[in-house]
Amino acid sequence: MDITIEAAAGAEIVAVRGSLDTNTAPEAGEALIGLINGGAKRIVADFEHVDYISSAGLRVLLVAAKRLRAGGGDMRLCNLNPFVQEVFDISGFGVMFSVFDTRDAALAQS
Amino acid sequence: MPSILVVDDEPDLEILVRQKFRRRIRAGELEFLFAQNGAEALEQLQTRRDVDMVLSDINMPVMDGLTLIGQLRDVAPMIKAVVVSAYGDMENIRTAMNRGAFDFVTKPIDFDDLELTVTRTLAHLEMLREAVTSREQLVALRRELDVAARMQAQILPGKPLAGPGFQIGAQMTPAKEVGGDFYDYFQIDENRVGFVIADVSGKGVPAAIFMAVSYTLMRARGMDGLAPAKCLELVNAALCRDNDEAMFVSVFYGVLETSTGKLAYCNAGHNPPILRRANGDVSPLEDKGGPALGVIDDATFDQATVDFQPGDTLLLYTDGVTEAFDETGEPYGESALMDVFKRLGSADPLAVAETIETVVIDHTGDAEQHDDITTLVLRRPLD
Repeated sequence: MDITIEAAAGAEIVAVRGSLDTNTAPEAGEALIGLINGGAKRIVADFEHVDYISSAGLRVLLVAAKRLRAGGGDMRLCNLNPFVQEVFDISGFGVMFSVFDTRDAALAQS
Repeated sequence: MPSILVVDDEPDLEILVRQKFRRRIRAGELEFLFAQNGAEALEQLQTRRDVDMVLSDINMPVMDGLTLIGQLRDVAPMIKAVVVSAYGDMENIRTAMNRGAFDFVTKPIDFDDLELTVTRTLAHLEMLREAVTSREQLVALRRELDVAARMQAQILPGKPLAGPGFQIGAQMTPAKEVGGDFYDYFQIDENRVGFVIADVSGKGVPAAIFMAVSYTLMRARGMDGLAPAKCLELVNAALCRDNDEAMFVSVFYGVLETSTGKLAYCNAGHNPPILRRANGDVSPLEDKGGPALGVIDDATFDQATVDFQPGDTLLLYTDGVTEAFDETGEPYGESALMDVFKRLGSADPLAVAETIETVVIDHTGDAEQHDDITTLVLRRPLD
């Protein structure tokens, strides 16, 4: 897995590549918490290149979403492939995030 | 302070060593002890268990250096020996090394070289000791994790449960690392039986603790006889308290009214169980419930009811079943599971659970099992 972070208007875009599982989730979690501690209010996680997410991966996203919400911000997800979408659907945690089809759509809405 | 035992029958060496190392001796960095031969050295080692290193000559009366080194291994296995040999005496050097000597220096002793050798030997010893300590800690930790895994397995029901109008059996094959699947079943009253399957996020000790708490809450609320949705709502609220790490647990909870076959259930973020009708039709249960428990404190839960007829069987499972990967990374998958379940017909629930576990573990082959593999089977007998 690798993570690239870029700043866009009013949001930090976190693009993850690879698999978000027990081994890689802690690194992704640190990156997200780092952004939040640095003052980020809105994070857009781009899942275009994420092929797998385990419960450990889901957990780091939930921690980030909770922290952002507490500070009046939000966590947005985009480009979920059907498998990743299914994980959100089954767990019922889709409601914790705003989910968008594309990165542009995630950035467009205020 | 490191201690070095110098063994030589020439008294000159003691004077030389004391002189050359005087600064480090005075600074309290090194301590030297002296013996005249191997026998005397062994005698000193009896009382001085803290000696780190032996520097020994080879030719000495009473007991020579090679014999001493051969015996050191039994007396004090952690001591590192360095031999002092005549220049070019490869035969004795080789014998000493074969008997476990760590290094050698040649006569006449070059004290710069000796100091280097002493420093290197002591550093090596330090590393070795750290490795031993880490290893001991690791072994202790492993033992504790094994105990945690055993305790976890022991709190689950060990025997199938059966009564008028129902039979339940379950099977769990834990992954190597202590994890978080669990199942449970219990008779609420003479006409109702509750059954649970659950999967805690993550692995290791935090997951094991969260599992134990979830299990206990489910059992307590379930035995209160609450409707499934209400039960999960209360357990969710309890688990959400002080859960900053966002640990969560997916839970399927069902209550079967054994006289009528009315089965009420609520699915909190878990894989939908598979229903096999008496005629062999298989399909997942309609997904009704709410999110996995522990994260959204004001979450609401719905429940559904299905008519569970004589001859019907319900298979509950965790994603360790469908996401069991073989060597090529191919998951076992839901359709394979449905096929096997359909073919197993209306066998005894425990036998169905055991067969599915076996088939799934066969599928993984030599690949490592990443997740607990858990199945629970509920059946309503024909008569």
